[in-house]
Amino acid sequence: MGKKRKHTETEAVANGNKDEIATERPKRTLLGFKDGSNTEENKDSSSVVTFRNKEKVLVTCSRRISYRYRHLMLNLVSLLPHCKKDNKVESKDAKGETLNELVELKSCSSCLFFECRKGKDLYLWMSKCPNGPSVKFLVNAVHTMEELKLTGNHLKGSRPILTFSSNFDKQPHWKLLKEMFMQIFGTPKDHRKSKPFYDHVFVFSILDDHVWFRNYQISCPHTGTTQKIDRGDLEKMTLVEVGPRFCLNPIKIFGGSFGGPTLYENPFYVAPNQIRSLEKKQKAGKYAKKVKAKTRRKMHQLSNPLEVDEFADMWKE
Amino acid sequence: MMVKNKLAMMNQENDEEDFDPETESESGSEEEEEDQQVVKLAEPSKTAVYNKDGLLERLNDISWPNNLDWTHRLNIDREEQEQVDVNDDLAREHAFYTQGLEGIRQAYVNFQSTGEPFLRPADYYAEMVKTDTHMEKVKGRLLAEKRRIEESEERRKARENKKLAKDIQAQKMKERTKQKKQEIESVKKWRKQRQQSGFDKEDAGGLDLAFDGGDVNKPFQRSNKKRPGVSPGDRSGGRANFGGKGGKGFDKKRKSREFKDSKFGFGGRKGLKKQNTAETTNDFGGSHKGERFAKNKRVKR
Repeated sequence: MGKKRKHTETEAVANGNKDEIATERPKRTLLGFKDGSNTEENKDSSSVVTFRNKEKVLVTCSRRISYRYRHLMLNLVSLLPHCKKDNKVESKDAKGETLNELVELKSCSSCLFFECRKGKDLYLWMSKCPNGPSVKFLVNAVHTMEELKLTGNHLKGSRPILTFSSNFDKQPHWKLLKEMFMQIFGTPKDHRKSKPFYDHVFVFSILDDHVWFRNYQISCPHTGTTQKIDRGDLEKMTLVEVGPRFCLNPIKIFGGSFGGPTLYENPFYVAPNQIRSLEKKQKAGKYAKKVKAKTRRKMHQLSNPLEVDEFADMWKE
Repeated sequence: MMVKNKLAMMNQENDEEDFDPETESESGSEEEEEDQQVVKLAEPSKTAVYNKDGLLERLNDISWPNNLDWTHRLNIDREEQEQVDVNDDLAREHAFYTQGLEGIRQAYVNFQSTGEPFLRPADYYAEMVKTDTHMEKVKGRLLAEKRRIEESEERRKARENKKLAKDIQAQKMKERTKQKKQEIESVKKWRKQRQQSGFDKEDAGGLDLAFDGGDVNKPFQRSNKKRPGVSPGDRSGGRANFGGKGGKGFDKKRKSREFKDSKFGFGGRKGLKKQNTAETTNDFGGSHKGERFAKNKRVKR
């Protein structure tokens, strides 16, 4: 893909090269996303910062995913214009390596992997490739965009405004998650599939140690074609929910992509299998409990005999 | 049987790198909060890893440069907010809504300062994230709901009105019967009076007893009951059209057409043509054909 360089960029690079010969290059604090040619553009000793967000997300799922979760995945694909949808991933073991290879093959920089277990539980892996951190979530409370109660609509491919609740800055693992959400769910500026106006907003909030996601359409009554809005218009603005809706429960954060050292483990997390087995156990001892209760009652009756009733013989003939 | 546990120490935060989780068989006692299938441990498990330094290090690795223009990130961070109970659906959604709304307001203010277009004009048509057919379905559903609500409102009102109407009608009936009774009573009284006074006052003075409920000037007026099909001099009692013409399709419109036909036009009350009216009582024989022509002659002039 040929990179179109702006006029200013070429000059800046030329300057940079000149400086390199002359003076010691200052320690760069900028990071590029892809190694190679992209980093050259960022190596600037001048104050012009040319940063191109070259984020590309690979969206895949596992086999035997159920319809609701598949629709959720397709909804996300339509919401993120900078994503690439790929075929179902087959592998049972060595999942991490397969996925890493796949991401490299498609030249993407992050990945959203929907894993559905037993057709009931959906796990979402979110990772920055090739060596970035990765997170595994359990997804709850899924409502897709096809639900008729979610009535909003917005441009396909317009850049979302991301809002985060205040408790994202409280602890390090939330900070990391916030950064990952911002990079993965935010559409890069000047992406070729992105549309110009801003008409929807993503809401990420942390409640009860879960991350809740909502997507709203902005309906702002503004006067004609001018781009001015005044205080009155701001007050009259309303949000209509577009969907989808889901709730993420972080399970673990790993240092590497789909693997690596565990950096964070959610202490409150209970696996859905465990929940189900507990419920079953509760139901299991029903009959035994009944029998025990019966014997207990008998013992109780034997140990506390009733006093003789004086009226017992009243109606006997 | 649930595994009950003694209170575990809150050993949540370890600063050691690569803490090896010891496989302990006891887990915290679990409460099942049925909040949309979300279940949490009541006490945090002891084996949780929390490598703060590692997390911050990775954060620095992946984060974008700090002095980046806001338009790249497009993030709005909310200031302090109050806690909302997760299980209260309405409050929770409201909290999300307000978060979005405030974020948008802030963002729009920022956008306005940049000077670039950010509001979608009304004539900008492009592909939307939900198809038009889907939006039609949404619209249909909304309209159906509105209609259902309106219908139920109407039905409720009609029920109430019916109740009221019943009362009103009952009252009216009562009044009418009362009036009728009174009229009859007054006639009886008058008759008695006349009887008593010996039938000598036969002029209009005898009628000066004001009949209750009736005007003195029109004593024997028939009640103002409206019987539109009946003219006052009708001897058939309004039943001339009863069997024949009013058989099929006897609704209001046809009734009025039929009624007009019968009153003014052709072929109407055939049954009465052989009965005597006031004019024809004294006509004995003779043809009336000549009279008709004479009348026409007179009218033409």
